Amino acid sequence: MANPTEKPEPIPSKPKLEPKDEREELEDINGEEEEEEEYEDEDDGKPRTREDAIADRIKAESLFRRMRETPVAVRVHDVIVKGNEKTKDHVIEAEVDVLRQATTLQELLKASNVANFNLKALDIFDAVKITLDSGPPELPGTTNVVIDVVESKSPFIGQVGTFTKAEAKSSSLEGSLKYKNIFGYGDIWDGSLAYGCDHSTEVGLGMSLPRFRGRPTPFTSRVYLSTQDWLKFSSYKERALGLSLGLIASKYHELAYNIAWRNLIDPSQTASRSIRRQLGHNLVSALKYTFKFDQRNSSLRPTRGYSFISTSQIGGLAPDSRTLRFLRQEIDLRYAVPLGFYRAALNFGVAGGITFPWGSEYKSKASCIPERFFLGGNISPVCSLGGPSALWGFKTRGLGPNEPRREVQDDESCDTYERDFVGGDVAVTAFADLSFDFPLKWFRDRGIHGHVFACAGNMAELSENKYRNFTASKFLQKFRSSVGAGIVVPTSLFRMELNYCHILKKQEHDRAKSGFFMTFSTSS
Amino acid sequence: MEGDQETEVYTLVARKPSFDLPTACPNCLPAYIYLKLAQLPFELAFNSTFPDSDELPYFESGTYVAYNNEDGGVIEKLKKDGIVNLDLQLQSLPEYLSLKALIVSWLEEALTYEIWVGTEGISTTKIYYSDLPWVISKVLFYKQTYLAKNRLGITKENAEQREKQIYKRASEAYEALSTRLGEQKFLFEDRPSSLDALLLSHMLFIIQALPVTSVLRCKLLEHSNLVRYAEKLKSEFLEASSSSPSPPLHSFPSSFPRKSSKPKSKPKVEKTEEEKKFKKRARFFLAAQFLAVVIYVSVMGGGSSEELEYEDEDD
Repeated sequence: MANPTEKPEPIPSKPKLEPKDEREELEDINGEEEEEEEYEDEDDGKPRTREDAIADRIKAESLFRRMRETPVAVRVHDVIVKGNEKTKDHVIEAEVDVLRQATTLQELLKASNVANFNLKALDIFDAVKITLDSGPPELPGTTNVVIDVVESKSPFIGQVGTFTKAEAKSSSLEGSLKYKNIFGYGDIWDGSLAYGCDHSTEVGLGMSLPRFRGRPTPFTSRVYLSTQDWLKFSSYKERALGLSLGLIASKYHELAYNIAWRNLIDPSQTASRSIRRQLGHNLVSALKYTFKFDQRNSSLRPTRGYSFISTSQIGGLAPDSRTLRFLRQEIDLRYAVPLGFYRAALNFGVAGGITFPWGSEYKSKASCIPERFFLGGNISPVCSLGGPSALWGFKTRGLGPNEPRREVQDDESCDTYERDFVGGDVAVTAFADLSFDFPLKWFRDRGIHGHVFACAGNMAELSENKYRNFTASKFLQKFRSSVGAGIVVPTSLFRMELNYCHILKKQEHDRAKSGFFMTFSTSS
Repeated sequence: MEGDQETEVYTLVARKPSFDLPTACPNCLPAYIYLKLAQLPFELAFNSTFPDSDELPYFESGTYVAYNNEDGGVIEKLKKDGIVNLDLQLQSLPEYLSLKALIVSWLEEALTYEIWVGTEGISTTKIYYSDLPWVISKVLFYKQTYLAKNRLGITKENAEQREKQIYKRASEAYEALSTRLGEQKFLFEDRPSSLDALLLSHMLFIIQALPVTSVLRCKLLEHSNLVRYAEKLKSEFLEASSSSPSPPLHSFPSSFPRKSSKPKSKPKVEKTEEEKKFKKRARFFLAAQFLAVVIYVSVMGGGSSEELEYEDEDD
């Protein structure tokens, strides 16, 4: 419980009764249930009289009245950390640096909130309590901040969840085991196993540090071994052994560096020409910058607000010119308009992306297949913020440039697709979605709602001199589109949609048909 | 590429050229030479990022692909699928089978040993890893060396013994082939066969890609008729440009450097019929141009020439 100090008086007795708003604020600082406070005077063993209680109450009320009317000047003299046996002092003090900048009591209370949140976000403490104590008597107007932490008793923690990672292009189910704070620097080590809807698996070992060499943002590093199986759609499997470093991670900006040994193989030996040419080993050394501004009220069912995300990637950042050289840019813009009845909202979204190799003879070089864009899949465009990826009604990698596979005289192959989808260097998608609650309360209580949607998208190749054949009119002419309606069922792990899609326009060889489809999406 | 139909062009996808060879990979060179011996027009494409793949080389035409790890190799697959078969009526000959067994077992073993162990992989960087970053090429080099040793059955205990055995077998094979060949142009009758492709590629690789200090190279150079055989076939089938539409990729040395791996003499390029035709036409064009200029000067500039004569008379 925070003890407000009053200049030039020494510590007043802790008030029993407080105005409601300040009481709530003070409760928030500790994040725990409020406990009955005991008067200091009880330490003397003397019973408090009714007059003492009234005097304390009057003092507290006058203090809070003062706080509401004018700023109460105060200065933080010292920050005392208690309860940390393993965690280094400087790790905790770095997270509560905001307290030292407060110059008034009001600012100090707000800063205490922030500091409490920051310490909890380290994920290495079971409990955090911040107390404002009076400063030394010879220094009036000062306060000491006492931070009591309770370190996690059990450093191991297991988690299972669904995520949408930046590297993966679809949702994944992930199980992870974390070991927290081994060295006392707030370090968290984790091993994880993820299985994605796009037939990908990933085994990873990660480490994150809240601070690294005095940097203001957390530092994360992750070593991973991943495989993505695209045999059914594009006749290749992708294996990667890599290291990714999260260099900057703030509310709007994210900068990460990734170096990976990537291998494309075709165990089925049925790949089409373009895929065959790209089988082999590559070293990817790429820097990725993401700017994300998400003012929507929800990422799974946005009904108000807008968001913008821009992702830029440059590959080939290595002294060795034989690393994969590419440029990639994606943007995604969303806007949600509330309609005011049955919690209805109109969602609009436009996304685009382009990728191109760079270096000598870049115009005639082929862009790397894994860096290209692929549209289609069982994720909902409403939830997949991050670039052109999903279209209702179109199967995974189900549209765009495609090539015939190798002819095989085996009868068993008659059920498999005959064409490989090789992806596009430029992709554009757009969608409009009207979501609304059902009249029945049963559905509303569970968040089950309905939606009507329309979407369109297209891709084209530009590399290998194909940009010469690219024209905007031809690109627009070949736009695919679909409309539909469905029911959205949010669960604790993901958002499920059961939709009926009608394909308005598709091209030859596209894997899309009108009918019922289910999509599974997680918050991105 | 949506809905486009590929044109029916034959393409051989192999590893990159080096050491003045059209493809420096000892597994890809036989297929290349086989197609050249068969005088089948084809294009050459490269894959330089998959050194540990057994699919290379592969032959493609439209949606037809013949991988090297199927049906006994590219050459056997091309024979089986009726694309090109140089071994008609030869395959049943007992001599054919015994020579084939000699080449694909003892000589191939010797070559594998010499590349990865005998010369410690000194040539492998240019053959396999020239387009791969250092980290990947190092790891793959160790992997491929390990696999080669496994395939050859070499362990720490039997390394010396196995080396002697491999070199001894190679010597015996060269002796047998030299005796069999004599001064003939081809191994069988008067026509090329797939065994000529295999032997020629083996020899070209050893002479041009392996260092001078290579034991196997020295053993091969002892048989001068084999060397002459290789030189003759190379100049006739490889240095002459193919009838395929693509231009020749490299010019090859006409004589083998006996002492060093780098050719000292400047490479001579035999003129092909096409080049002769082109030069003839160029001469006609130049002559026509000259004639046009002369006619122009004489007809249009007749006054000035008279003035010149007049000046000459003064002198």
